[in-house]
Amino acid sequence: MDLVANLYLGLETALSPINLAYCLLGVFVGTLIGVLPGIGALAAISMLFPFTYHLEPTTALIMLAGIYYGTAYGGSTASILLNIPGTTSSAVTCLDGYPMAQQGRAGVALAMTAIASFFGGVFGILVLSVFTPVVASWALSFGSADYFALMVLGLVAASTVSDGSPIKGLAMVVLGMLVATIGMDPQSGTARFTFGSLSLLDGISIGALAMGLFGVAEIITSVRSSSNDSIKARDVSLRSLMPTRDDWRRFWMPALRASTIGSFFGALPGTGPTVAAFVSYGVEKRVATDPSRFGKGAVEGVVAPEAANNAADQTAFIPTLSLGVPGSATMALMIGAMMVHGIHPGPNLVTDHPDLFWGLVMSFWVGNLMLVVLNLPLIGLWVRLLTVPYKMLYPAILVMVCIGAYSVHFKAFDVMVVLGFGILGYAMRIFSMPAAPLLLGFVLGPMIEQHFRRAMVLARGDFTAIIGRPISGTVLVITLLILVLSIYASMRRRPADPAAPPAPHIEDED
Amino acid sequence: MKLLKLAATAALMMSGAAAVQAQDFPDGTVTLIIPYGGGGSTDLIARALANELGRMWDEAVIVENRPGAGSMIGTASLAQAEPDGYTLLVNTPAHATAPAVQKDLPFDPKTDITPIGMVATSPYMAVAGAAVQSDDLTAFAAESQDRPMFFATAGVGTSSHFAAELLIQQAGIEGDVVHFAGGGEAQTNLMGGHADVYISNTASVMPYVNNGQVKPLVILGPTRYDALPDVQSSGEAGADGIEINSWVGLFGPGGMDPALVEKLNADMRAAVGTETFKQVLADNFVQPGVGSAADFKAQVETEMQLWSDLAAERGIVAQ
Repeated sequence: MDLVANLYLGLETALSPINLAYCLLGVFVGTLIGVLPGIGALAAISMLFPFTYHLEPTTALIMLAGIYYGTAYGGSTASILLNIPGTTSSAVTCLDGYPMAQQGRAGVALAMTAIASFFGGVFGILVLSVFTPVVASWALSFGSADYFALMVLGLVAASTVSDGSPIKGLAMVVLGMLVATIGMDPQSGTARFTFGSLSLLDGISIGALAMGLFGVAEIITSVRSSSNDSIKARDVSLRSLMPTRDDWRRFWMPALRASTIGSFFGALPGTGPTVAAFVSYGVEKRVATDPSRFGKGAVEGVVAPEAANNAADQTAFIPTLSLGVPGSATMALMIGAMMVHGIHPGPNLVTDHPDLFWGLVMSFWVGNLMLVVLNLPLIGLWVRLLTVPYKMLYPAILVMVCIGAYSVHFKAFDVMVVLGFGILGYAMRIFSMPAAPLLLGFVLGPMIEQHFRRAMVLARGDFTAIIGRPISGTVLVITLLILVLSIYASMRRRPADPAAPPAPHIEDED
Repeated sequence: MKLLKLAATAALMMSGAAAVQAQDFPDGTVTLIIPYGGGGSTDLIARALANELGRMWDEAVIVENRPGAGSMIGTASLAQAEPDGYTLLVNTPAHATAPAVQKDLPFDPKTDITPIGMVATSPYMAVAGAAVQSDDLTAFAAESQDRPMFFATAGVGTSSHFAAELLIQQAGIEGDVVHFAGGGEAQTNLMGGHADVYISNTASVMPYVNNGQVKPLVILGPTRYDALPDVQSSGEAGADGIEINSWVGLFGPGGMDPALVEKLNADMRAAVGTETFKQVLADNFVQPGVGSAADFKAQVETEMQLWSDLAAERGIVAQ
């Protein structure tokens, strides 16, 4: 009964005209910012943060949160249409979203991601509203050893994100991990690969890396291969929006699995939507009956990461609200918006400020509904964006990428980082090196390293302590099983290999 | 003789000009750098200060978050600004601790930065997590003999790191430091029982103490803390040589005209004295700052010395 009363209170709060208006404003701004490559939720929320001084804390949070999860809806649009991720967590969506667009199925991809986003969001909110106290205490039991094991599992599960040469994929993962070591080592304070530059001391900004590697590299590539004909190849008719029966059949299970994965990683402070998107994509590819469809426009390949990152965005509020611990810089701003009004989130928030907690939770439902209503009709408009000639579209995108990279830390250096990784990304395309594994290594590498070293300090150097803990031990065993199974599978497949179609480079030699 | 006269006249004219400059200040937009990301207590206090100063001066005071390198990225950009008072910065004791581990800074923290005044102050406090049995420092020091403790920090070279090293040294505790990415993560690990103690200012720990997520162990310093009268002070437990307080301070670029520093110090004090600002301080569990610009400068320099000595002594200097 309590829950019903609370939900009613929350709904009452969320549906008050002022909160409704700010929720709409938040999700609208969020979608827009998500669509624009470069400018992310963090920059947008930082800019709007001062306004929250003049708002009720609940209203302020509803707006900021709307921006936050709204970006996850919009982020996939540019990934699918332009092969340029609007947000970092949508980078994975490029892998199958862009091939779908090239096959004239951009509308389907956009519709499926909007629905997958809604599915993931709703799943995340359910977890948030029913299990918050349970999940929060359970998240506390994760120590560094457990995080380490989880990140290793994530790396193994997602290591198949690229198709093509496994060696190249692995090389890019390692390169990503190496790039991530730039900066001050958090355990010893030693500066690594900074060459005395203070700008490098904080490491490479993930936003700048992703924008360069995916966005700028895509633009350079397109400029070189004159692209007028590819516009013709893109169907923008209304009929192209409708998912087929086969698309729907491929929707439910991936969406369900990805939402679970997303909810899990979202609730753990420090991990988040990008890890969730990678892992869910990797899992779908592994469980698929025909993994070779991935990377060539598989619907599961857009559904999974988008359901996962939206679910993660919602469950990220669990540690934020119930422990008072921000899992990311964006969440720190949310806590700040409460602190401004003298509210300190923590285990007592739900009992001390039920209107705030439940109002926010219910506003997520409202906001997600608004987003799906907002996004589905917009698809037609977005797809039409493709008819804008590249010579007008790309300079505009480049300007936005630069503004976006600059606005996160107000560092001109980050704009240079975008350029540097744009050039690297282009070079990688020439040598058909996949970019997604580099981003994966960049995201997971530092987590693996830092949690491992911290776990070693906490275990006083005893490695067996990592295997001996119940959570980390279980996760590592699962990881090992996946490894063994995939090696076994590749051994069994090998005899068939000679009969497989010849690799493209053989044709080149003619 | 003639030359001397000329020099004297020139000096007079210059000081006259400087006085005028200080009197007219500000005539235009003032930028306040916050060397941290948004949402933390320093960010909130600095933004409130910007609001008050803006209202007082009737000029726009723009806040810029320039996080990174334990506040040194924002401080470096301050060091490059003109010392005309139009670029200011708000920082914490990280201003003194970060240079103790970061040796390649592109500025000299002593000469390229001018301390203007203390905005707020609060004691440091050690809080303990689920795995710790003791309720005060005396018992804790004994407990650490049986089970060496883990001191969680907010990162290498942060004040939580240095305060932990100082307490370990002065109170004879068996323990090691383990670095986390920020005070939130450090305290989460306390709650989960993965690490044992975390030391920070009251602004950072009091929300968790009030929610019963971590327990207060000891106040660093000779005296107790008003808001928690039952919590022992380190002086009472017999640990001497810990006379440090956390603070939030206002800084300008190096080589500022003393008249301008005085003017800024006075205006900052007036801002701190307003009711709205006092409320912000109370919400963040800190007290209004005390002392003149000269006092603050002396304190900052003492702390810089203290931390760089401690860093050398305990081998926490990065290679």
